[in-house]
Amino acid sequence: MSKGKDRAALARQVVADQKAAERRRAVTLWTSVAVVLVLFVAGLIGYTTLTGQDEGELVVPSAAVDDGSAFAVGSGPVTVDVYEDFMCPACGNFEQTTGPALKQLAGEGRITLRFHPVAILDRFSKGAEYSTRAAAASAAAGQAGKFTEFHDALYANRPEENTTGLTDAKMIELAASAGLTDATFVDAVNEGTYKAWATQVTEKFSAKGFSGTPTITVNGEQVTDPTAETVTQAIEKATG
Amino acid sequence: METARQSRMPAAWPWISTVARLGLAAVWLIAGGLKVGDLAASARAVNAYQLMSYDTAKVVGAVQPFLEIAIGLLLLSGLATRLTAAISAILMVIFIAGISWAWAEGLRIDCGCFSDGGELGAGETTAYGVDILRDVVFVALSGLLVWRPRTRFSLDGLLLGER
Repeated sequence: MSKGKDRAALARQVVADQKAAERRRAVTLWTSVAVVLVLFVAGLIGYTTLTGQDEGELVVPSAAVDDGSAFAVGSGPVTVDVYEDFMCPACGNFEQTTGPALKQLAGEGRITLRFHPVAILDRFSKGAEYSTRAAAASAAAGQAGKFTEFHDALYANRPEENTTGLTDAKMIELAASAGLTDATFVDAVNEGTYKAWATQVTEKFSAKGFSGTPTITVNGEQVTDPTAETVTQAIEKATG
Repeated sequence: METARQSRMPAAWPWISTVARLGLAAVWLIAGGLKVGDLAASARAVNAYQLMSYDTAKVVGAVQPFLEIAIGLLLLSGLATRLTAAISAILMVIFIAGISWAWAEGLRIDCGCFSDGGELGAGETTAYGVDILRDVVFVALSGLLVWRPRTRFSLDGLLLGER
């Protein structure tokens, strides 16, 4: 009698175990399916966000060279391309140490100096997108024929990273002190006319495989660890 | 005495795993959250590894932050913890491989400029080591969850009728 009772209990236990195992299997299966679905949807959101990005209307400044992505100083035989972000501290250093020498070489007709204002540090201006706004404003200055003057004024007043940067009004004020009061320039800065252009210049910079600023190339060849010395050496070598 | 000690450990595991699960969830949510606001920067960060074309890097850079946030949310809710933890571990291993590659190639990664001061500091190389070490810890946490996926306050537990 007691033996039969044990057996019944055992059978019930086996059935209960099987049911529990079945439930575990079902839960594992369906939760796994859910996970795959969630990840797929997340990926899809990322992809559609990328393809749906609206950069605004692209206005290429007609004064720009190199497929409309740079502003040139001088017209010497050696081409020196300078890729800079207006907020980047290393670019500020580079401008202080090497900028004058490069401008002199351009003035002497030895090099063609091409400035590519890229915007890679937008995330360091607390949502103010200073890098993009400054690059766009520099295009407006270039269009007005005063790229270098405005460029130098922005670097002389370079804001630190993790600040909101210079306001549009402040940039217009700096331009005025540098002799740039053109109404078209002021409008272009206020309306952000060249912001999409700044994004495009940055895209071209990335597509070339560059990732940091300043990036300097001499006749297309990148100068690693650019300093006044290494850059002038590369220029001398290219001059032959 | 001996049996009491043995039975205490199994009771503690779900709690240890819960801490691991929530910690990892925070890691993924923060990692994704930092990138999701600037997808262009995320694309450039991927591009900096020079492992794929820029067009591919753009897609990876855009998809990655959303995947990271999704993994964070899945871990937070505790849904299919073992599978999610396994995916988390695999991604971390991929990151470690990427950082090792960058280190081996001598690439300067993860800053728009060379560094704050412009000069490449002596500490620059050690940053790679620290990054790898950090990711190894995250792999270990993920591994722990693959091994012991039962946790408290999880959807898994709810669905299985655990209390």
